[in-house]
This record gives sequence, C-alpha cells and structure tokens, in this order.
Amino acid sequence: MEQKSLRTSSFLPDFCSARIVFVVIMLAELLAILLTLAQVYTSVDRFYTLAIHSLFIQWVSLSCVASLCMARQFLSKLSDIWAATGSYILTLLVSLIVAEMAWWLVIYFPDDMTMPNYSHALYLVRCMSISAIVSALALRYLYVQHQWRRRVELEAEARFQALQSRIRPHFLFNCMNTIASLTRSNPVLAEESVEDLADLFRASLQDIHHLSTLDDEISLCKRYLRIEQHRLGSRLKVEWSLAAKAEKLRIPSLILQPLLENAIYHGIEPLPDGGLITIQSKHEKPYLILKVENPITQTSAAPHEGNHLAQENIRQRLEAFFENKASLSVESGDGNYSVTILLPDDNENTDR
Amino acid sequence: MKILIVDDEQLARERLVGVLNEADPAFQIEQATNGLDCLEKAQQEEFNVILLDIRMPGMDGLETAQHLSLLKPQPAIIFTTAYQDHAIEAFSAKAVDYLLKPIRRERLLESLERASFINRAHLAELNDSLGDASAVRRYFSVNKQGTIELIPVEEVRCLKADQKYVSVIWPGQESLIDESLKSIETEFKGQFLRVHRNALVALAHIERLEKDTSGSLQIKLRDLDEKIDVSRRHVQEVRKAIKSLQLS
Repeated sequence: MEQKSLRTSSFLPDFCSARIVFVVIMLAELLAILLTLAQVYTSVDRFYTLAIHSLFIQWVSLSCVASLCMARQFLSKLSDIWAATGSYILTLLVSLIVAEMAWWLVIYFPDDMTMPNYSHALYLVRCMSISAIVSALALRYLYVQHQWRRRVELEAEARFQALQSRIRPHFLFNCMNTIASLTRSNPVLAEESVEDLADLFRASLQDIHHLSTLDDEISLCKRYLRIEQHRLGSRLKVEWSLAAKAEKLRIPSLILQPLLENAIYHGIEPLPDGGLITIQSKHEKPYLILKVENPITQTSAAPHEGNHLAQENIRQRLEAFFENKASLSVESGDGNYSVTILLPDDNENTDR
Repeated sequence: MKILIVDDEQLARERLVGVLNEADPAFQIEQATNGLDCLEKAQQEEFNVILLDIRMPGMDGLETAQHLSLLKPQPAIIFTTAYQDHAIEAFSAKAVDYLLKPIRRERLLESLERASFINRAHLAELNDSLGDASAVRRYFSVNKQGTIELIPVEEVRCLKADQKYVSVIWPGQESLIDESLKSIETEFKGQFLRVHRNALVALAHIERLEKDTSGSLQIKLRDLDEKIDVSRRHVQEVRKAIKSLQLS
C-alpha cells in the first residue's frame, strides 16, 4: 500500500486516506458507545446520550484526523519521537478547541437535556483527560504496529541478503571445478569435497533464525577451509587457536564462515605466495572474542564491496540475536586485515 | 597443436590437461602458474593457443594478454574463468573468446578450432569497457628483438612523447613503447600527472619543483638527473597536485 520503504517512512499512517478516516470513525463510535454504557446513573434516555456522545466524539476525532492530514507533510520530516510528540500536542490542541466550541454552542443554544450541570473548568478537564488517554493509546498502537511491520520487512530483507551473500558464486564454481578435477585424479578426495560442500549448503539454506553452536560453526568452517585447501594448495595456511569451554555457546549459524571466505577471496587469492589465516577465540569477560586475521596486498587495502556486504549481514544477524550485546569491528593496516566479533560470554546463551 | 595452460590452481590445470589429452593425444601441452610464468614460457617456445585464467595473483589474465600481444607470431588467447560476472559481458561484446569453468570438453574443442589472436587495441578497448572492474596494469611492456621486456609501472619516473613513440624513463634506462600518452594518462589516473603536452611524470617520484635559469618551472624526479619541463598551461594543476601530495 505504501510506496516508500517502511524503514524510512514515519510510523504515522496517511491520515488523508479513506481507510484511516473510516477506521477513525469506527473507533470514535466505539468510544461513544463505551462512554454511554459506562454511565452508571443517568436520568436521560441512553440513546439520546449516545447520540450526543457520538456527535461530540466524531466531531473531535474527525477534526483531529483533518489536522493530522494537513500536518502530514511537516510531521513526516521529523524523527519518530518528535512526530509522536507533535501529533500528540496537535490532537490535544484540536480537542481543546472543539470542546470549547461545543461548550459555547450549548451555552448559546440552551437545551435542558444537554445543559451541563457542572462548571466549565470541570467540563474541559473531563474532555481533555479522555482525549489525552485515547490519543496516547492510539499513537502507541500505531507505533507498535509500525515497529512490528518494520521488523517483518527487515527480516525479509535479511533473509534475502543472507541468501545472496552467504555463498559466493565465485566460490561455488571454483569448487565445482576442483571437484571435476579431483574426480579424475583422486575420487576419494572428490567425494569428501562433495560432502563438505553439501554441509556448507545445508547450513546456508537453513532458516535465518536457526541457532547453531560455536562448535558446529567451527566444524563448518573447517570443512569450508578443506575445500579451499584443495584448490589453493600450499598457498593457504590456516592456524587455529581456540579457547576452551565455549563449544556450546549458542550463535546464529554462518557468523564465522563468511569472514573466512572474505579472508581467502580478498586476502589469500591475490597474493602469489598466499599467506596465513589465523582464527582465534578467547574469553575476555564479559565477552567471547572471535578474531579472523589475514594478510592483504597493498593494492587491495581499500574496503571491498563484497567484504562489506558479508560483514553487514553478520552485523545484522548479531544484532537480531544479541541486540546490542555483540559487535563486529574491522581493523586494517600494515598489510594485515582483521575482523573481530565480540559475543556475550554468559551461560544464558549456552543453554537456551 | 601446442597449448599453454595458465592457471594459479593446480587442480584446474590438471583437469584441463586431462581433458585435452583425452580429446587428442597429439596436443602438446605445457603449464604455467601465473602471468609472469606464462610470459616467460611463451617467449621460450611458440604456442598456438594460450588458455588464460582471468583471476590470478600478481599479474592477472587481462594484463598478461596485453603483454602477450607483443609476441610475433602472436598466440591465440582463450580466457577461462569460474564465474560469469559482469566482466564476461564485456568479453562477449568484444567477441573475445572465453570459457567458463568447469570447462566442457565440446566447448573447449570448439574454441580451440576457431581460436584467433586478440590484438592490443582490442584488449585496450576491452579494458576500457570494464571500467573499474579491470585491474590497473603493473607493467609496461616492450618487444626488444623478440623478447618482451617488462617495466614495473611503479619504477617508471616519467613518460615522454616524441613524434610517433612514447619513451618510458626509469633510473638509468629508457624504452620506447607503442602506446599513446593520452591512453596512459587515462589508464593511470592519479598515478601519472600531465606536466607538458608531451610529458607525464610519476606523482610518487616527484622530488621538488624548481626554476631554471630562464625562470620556467621544472620538475626534479627522484634518482633521475634529467629535469622535466612544466608547460605554463599545466603549472596550476601541477602545483595543486604537489600540494596535495605534501599534505597527505
């Protein structure tokens, strides 16, 4: 329905649209019925009360919608918090004006059925309290609904990106070529490579919410590196240094593997003599630190688009799972490139 | 038919050797592991066809092909690559032959049959159309009595145009190359600076700017006695470039 991406759009809906006007009329009527039903003691006919309530509430709510519609251009430019504050103040202001007009209308055209039997001030306090509560609820509802839709959209986007970035076509076809070659010269290794590749694809095709353990991720990385080892031979050297007692830490799958893929594609492959990739994990309270380090050529020191995509994807998934308790950072210089991931190192993540 | 297979991956080379041997045991096959190795082997003996991997460390396939085009007689070149990315579109547009890995036997034999050489102009065009995707060359090349001499671009101090040829100057030496200053200026933007209608200098090797006895500006380059004249038209740009060099 909305053309713009939800991520950039304001949480306020288009108050000028017929759909929203209809929804507001329905809700206003429900509120009128609610207020009428809530009156415990009344001398007047309930239907007459309902009619008066409806007239008044519809009047207030439609005026609010109209003013929000007119202010939309302005409100949409503000951040969520200011847009919320702005629209809240606007609704209160409009309610106040309409309530005041209604008061004077009744004063000028008196009618014993509607004549209020309490003071002007009390009347305004009652009207404004109801308006304040109802508009706060409405805004809160709109905000929550917007957040929810935004989340759904982000997840879809992340899923799409994950599929795109997890396995590089470059890797896939090179791997196929390696296997084609091994089938002739070493069928046993070819078989092993097919199995490793299958595991890698199985992991990459999993639901993005699937959680794996650090242990599983590391063994997946080892399979991946085994495939690359056939291809790159002695040019690829790998050193693991893993801290103990983190095997069962729950992490989203494919957090480490794409980093190794980057390290090979941007680090090892462009170097005629190859180089060493080191993968470290260590405890440093309150974090578990994962670090991937690789050499780079002088000419490839600039950040790569492909690098960026995979890192961004990992960052997003870390945020989705650990909120702001995990992070990914990059350091480069002196012919070296390293990516560090901080994960919360607590028991909560090991047995969830 | 003599064929040279160039690929940095051993298994990729082995597979091609296997496929070719099966197709025709009469094929004479040699292997090279990278661009430089390929150039060396191609000069030692004559090959009809060179199967050249595009993505290789050191000197990539495209640059290797440019240097190979100086050989006489010229070998036919077929590029090989694992992934059909946007570079490949440029290849088909320029009718440059390429094969996708894993390479099919029939496709390979078909290509070998109609393989033809690619001329330098064609390659330069291809490089241009690749834009940012093409890697910057690491060497200038010259054919000196049948052997290809490679001049590392980073060693070059300046390039001077003289009538038809461009001479590449680096400490103690000078060579004529068959390229235009204009094309070099575009290809190595940010690396070489135009200081005169007929001269480019390497920014990285500028030592200082000085005035000669008649008051006109000259550039002194590191390890080079000869000073390069700066034409009045280029003075402003040269000063600006040197200033930004000193700042960084």
